Amino acid sequence: MALKKTDGSKLLMAVVCLVAVCSSVPISDLLDRASQGSDKLHALSTIISQDLNSHFPPIGQEIMPRPSMCHTSSLQTPSDKQQTLQVSESDLLSLARSLLQAWSDPLLVLSASANTLHHPDQTSISNQIQELQLHSKSLGDGLDILSGKMGPAAQTISLLPFSGGNDIGQDRISQLINFNFLLSCFRRDSHKIDSFLKVLRCRATKAQPQMC
Amino acid sequence: MRRDLRGALLLLLTAAVQSSSMSAPGKPVLLSCRSPEKETFTCWWEPGSDGGLPTTHHLYYERERLEGTYECPDYLSAGRNSCFFDKNHTSIWVDYYLTVTASNALGNATSDPFKMDVMEIVKPDAPGNVTLRVEEREASPCLHVRWMPPSNTDTKSGWVTIKYELRVKKDNSNNWKEYTSGTQTHFSLYSVSPGGVYTVQVRCLLDHGSWSEWSNTTFVKISNYLQNERPLSMLISILSAILFIMAGLILIAKRKSVKQWVLPPVPGPKIRGINSQLLQSGGSDDVGNVLIIKQSFPPIYFVWQDQMEDYLIVTENEDWLSSNSQKSLIPACFHFNSEIHSKESPCHQNDWEKDEEISQVDNNNKPFTNTGYVDFQRHVENVDVKHVDYSRVKEVKRDNILFLEKEKVQSSGYIHFQRQEGIPEDYSGVKEVESDHLVVLQKQNAADLSCKDEGNHYTECALHKPRKPHVCTELSDSGYVDTIPAPPLM
Repeated sequence: MALKKTDGSKLLMAVVCLVAVCSSVPISDLLDRASQGSDKLHALSTIISQDLNSHFPPIGQEIMPRPSMCHTSSLQTPSDKQQTLQVSESDLLSLARSLLQAWSDPLLVLSASANTLHHPDQTSISNQIQELQLHSKSLGDGLDILSGKMGPAAQTISLLPFSGGNDIGQDRISQLINFNFLLSCFRRDSHKIDSFLKVLRCRATKAQPQMC
Repeated sequence: MRRDLRGALLLLLTAAVQSSSMSAPGKPVLLSCRSPEKETFTCWWEPGSDGGLPTTHHLYYERERLEGTYECPDYLSAGRNSCFFDKNHTSIWVDYYLTVTASNALGNATSDPFKMDVMEIVKPDAPGNVTLRVEEREASPCLHVRWMPPSNTDTKSGWVTIKYELRVKKDNSNNWKEYTSGTQTHFSLYSVSPGGVYTVQVRCLLDHGSWSEWSNTTFVKISNYLQNERPLSMLISILSAILFIMAGLILIAKRKSVKQWVLPPVPGPKIRGINSQLLQSGGSDDVGNVLIIKQSFPPIYFVWQDQMEDYLIVTENEDWLSSNSQKSLIPACFHFNSEIHSKESPCHQNDWEKDEEISQVDNNNKPFTNTGYVDFQRHVENVDVKHVDYSRVKEVKRDNILFLEKEKVQSSGYIHFQRQEGIPEDYSGVKEVESDHLVVLQKQNAADLSCKDEGNHYTECALHKPRKPHVCTELSDSGYVDTIPAPPLM
């Protein structure tokens, strides 16, 4: 009887280990998926930006607030290739997660104001903003899972509060300008996230150069 | 003092000479900036009018997160009216504000500020070293294209992700066919056909940037010599086609004999006594009547409408009966014997028994029993019965032996015949009468009765003329009706 018990428990352990090993997705695959998600996120933001600017020549560029006034500008991020390649994997992931997390509230604001935007393409812009939200949410979930596998440094998120509130402008022009500004900030940050994740992906797949 | 005066005079003179076309420079225009690898970038401007004076241009920039205004670090590397920013001076995800100032002796002119971010101006160089290789295969050739990424692009660190696209056109058409290659630096084209000149071009893209220019065109001619191997197979196919056609023609010419060979004629059923030629020649009424009656299988009953007595004596062939009791077709072989009524026929000395009962058999071919009995039913319709002395048949054995009931035997032993004129004669003659209750009939062609007087007890009767024969069809197991040649005449 005792022998049988030990045999049974050993078998159970073996099965559990097997299940654990089989069900865990390698980090390289997770990073690949995350990179594809961030690529899509940035592409979508570019399309919305183009739609927005198609009917308004960049006159607003002069009166638009400077990008240094983006609410995420306080986060210190690398600004060229050399600096980026020197950052550790966990820090890169932490930066990406922080940036993404910082946009969860402003995207809601954007989504809400897209409904009342005075623009010829208002409907399509509104739909695309909603899609943007969904993508952002799913990417965030994926990065949370990734961070769990990459150590404690990856888990830290810098808080970047959004102080714009729910109001993006009183009149049509200022509404459009603020909307455009927020969107440009988002475009930059999504490009950063995309670049960081792709560097991470390349580092994680040393054996497969075609991933880089 | 004199020198100064001379210089001023000279200047005044030149100014006076060119006073009409001299002015401050026109406003330059910043055209575009481009970063080929996301690490450096170059900007170009268009100078305005120079105002007739030598004009110089200077590019100044300000940068986000960087205090101060700076001048372009490199005016030369990228050519005229350009400014090249090397790696040390390039930052990404920050805005640059550029201005170009043109200045000459008479004044300056500054362009509008040009805002740019490196992440938006990425456009790589075209891929290089595009090589084509033709691989000849049996079915169709295929084209292998190889190229190298642009030399200045870093594809190893993941800083940029490169994507390729190629386009192919055949000969001189303007129809380019485009293919996406992903991150591979090679591609195989299978939809190429020999005997054409193919032109291939490749371009690339970095992440979210713009497509590069198309690479230099590369040509390849796919030779036609593959088709020279074809003539042999073509010759063979042509020869075989000719052979087939000839065989077909021969077949058509001899189709009758071929048809006979392939589908030999099946011998039709031979009805004894019926001569097909006789039929064809439109034989006598007897023959026609033969046919009519012979075709009345399964047995039907017929009624002679005339005043003569009409009855049938139906005999069965036991042999066939037993083996085919299941068949719904003709269950047995029947001889139709209608009694010959003949007045004063020489063949009357016979223990011929006639039975006034006519057998009536359903047309539905009720199978007969195996015993050989004939089920006679009394049917007295339209029968003008003459009171003659009859014997009742007790049993029919085989096909020619009749057992009569004893009590009916007449002492006279006479059998009356009544010959019915015009009635087809299909009787069996009595061959022998044994004892007083056994009659043996002639098992022969009834049409061939010849009367012979041989004593009191029996007579052989035979008709002179060939009449209709017995039709005895034997049922085989397969259900077909075959004829059995009638036994030879007695």
